[in-house]
Amino acid sequence: MSDKPLILVVDDDPDLVESVAMKLESHDYRVAKAYDGIEAWDKIRAEKPRLVLLDVMMPRKDGYELCREIKEDPASKDIVVVLLTAVAENVKTSKYTHQDGKSTPADDYIAKPIDLDKLMQIVRDNLD
Amino acid sequence: MKEVAMSQNYRGPAILVIDDEERIRTGCQKVLRQEGFEVETADSGEAGLKMIEEKSYDIILLDLMMPSLSGFDVLSRVKALHPDSVIIVISGYATVEYSIEAMKKGAFDFIPKPFMPDQLRVLVTKAIEYTRALKDIANEKSRMRVLIDHLSDGVLAVDAQKSVVLANPAFLKMSGFSGEDAVGRGLEELSAGSVVDALVDSALAMPEDQFEESSEEFVRGGEEGVPQSYLSASCVPFRDRAGRNVGAITVLHDITARKKMEQIKSDFVSMVSHEVRSPLNSVLAQLHVITDGLAGEVTPKQMEILGRASEKIKSLLSLSTELLDLARIESGLMSVEKERVNPVEILEDLAAFHEPAAREKSIGLELAPLPELPSLVVNRRNLEEVLSNLIVNAIKYTPEGGRVVVSASLEDKFLKFEVGDTGIGISPEDQERVFAPFYRIKNEKTRYIIGTGLGLAIVKSIVEAHGGFVRLQSLPDQGSTFSLHFPLPES
Repeated sequence: MSDKPLILVVDDDPDLVESVAMKLESHDYRVAKAYDGIEAWDKIRAEKPRLVLLDVMMPRKDGYELCREIKEDPASKDIVVVLLTAVAENVKTSKYTHQDGKSTPADDYIAKPIDLDKLMQIVRDNLD
Repeated sequence: MKEVAMSQNYRGPAILVIDDEERIRTGCQKVLRQEGFEVETADSGEAGLKMIEEKSYDIILLDLMMPSLSGFDVLSRVKALHPDSVIIVISGYATVEYSIEAMKKGAFDFIPKPFMPDQLRVLVTKAIEYTRALKDIANEKSRMRVLIDHLSDGVLAVDAQKSVVLANPAFLKMSGFSGEDAVGRGLEELSAGSVVDALVDSALAMPEDQFEESSEEFVRGGEEGVPQSYLSASCVPFRDRAGRNVGAITVLHDITARKKMEQIKSDFVSMVSHEVRSPLNSVLAQLHVITDGLAGEVTPKQMEILGRASEKIKSLLSLSTELLDLARIESGLMSVEKERVNPVEILEDLAAFHEPAAREKSIGLELAPLPELPSLVVNRRNLEEVLSNLIVNAIKYTPEGGRVVVSASLEDKFLKFEVGDTGIGISPEDQERVFAPFYRIKNEKTRYIIGTGLGLAIVKSIVEAHGGFVRLQSLPDQGSTFSLHFPLPES
């Protein structure tokens, strides 16, 4: 078993998850996949990933909410959360402020459309 | 009302002469017939009354002193039967008291016996002009009334004390007034809403040297089974000859259908944009994975084709972003968190940011020396976006070696940003249309320039949402200058 960190990729579009996973795996990361917020929460508790790539707009539970839960739970608060945001959603990068005004304490973000090379850079930066 | 206004056939004035003296009757008849009038006579008050009961006369020449039925009695009967008839009193006594008495009872004028034909002509002509004016006014009033009552827009007129002078049925319906007669009531009794009330107040308080229409949109109903409606109200004062405000006219226009259409359109655009963006984002990532060689080896030719496909998808994505922005701005959903921003700082940042792109095209991007400028209260992201848009456009549409100058200054109560270029310019007929969504100027010079035709529509919407306006000056082949006017914050 590789000692490379486990990364959880969460997005409701399986094609996007697959592409991101392929890219990560090509850099020898281990990858877990989830397709909505609730499934992601289960995987986080079961598999304890080092980093979560988290889509913002998802059915059942959105990325902002899940991010808050991750950071509020002592068991998961050290997991690095990188949000995948659509530009049009106007997420202020410095604060990750949700529309309801509550801040979302994500560690970093990358805007869609995702440049996979930039994504790898962000992943590397946040795992060091 | 209709028959009064519409179907009155015009005929020559009809005159009735009532006098017991035959000499007077025939004299009057002769003189007035020469003038082309239709003249009939009666030799007593009774005979005259009979004729009056059967027919209405425009002018009645009436002897005051007749045996049996006096002129005064005839006068009051005529006033009761035909209030519009004009009565000229013929008075044998010619005493002032009698004549004044008759005029108090409604006579138009009097003529003392004996009189000259000319005196009679002048007096009758004057009376006819008077009746015509009266009729014109009555017709005009009736026409206006019908017109206003049939408008689908609500119309309200109040006097300077805010009492209702006129409220047409559409207005009463829109304001939800269900009482009897609205005229004479205070504006507050009509429950037209605080918006109308405030508009009327500001119209009535408008200084003499100013004449502006103020308007506002508001929502009514939505509770207890009353359907919600969107109304736009506009209000102007009306003035007397001395320029004093003597009242205000308010017009209500129902814009519910438009508002609903806008919402549907905006929902639709948001939905489509989002549904389109997600798969495009995936496709872009998939192409990236392939070109990275993660899905097997790729030939240079395949690489080239996939590269072009990626570019196409990126431009589709930016189109959907702009569509979404426009829909949000139009529906007023755009976040308008305003803050105090320093315009100089923003211009300096933007000039530095766009400088490399300009340099790549050998275009000089200059920031003109800026005067002392106050800060603006705007949405920072919006301001950056509109200025960036104009700078990017200027670079795009300016040939190599040209110049783009960004400047700012104060003009009236506005801060004016200007982006000028030495580019291809815009023809006068296109200048009006460049701000319309999806409008792109297509000619041999713009063929290879990529764009969605939404940029300037977004700029205009954003600036207007801030209470400002956009201007354009341009000459083909010489260049264009776009200016954005943002209102200065009230200190």
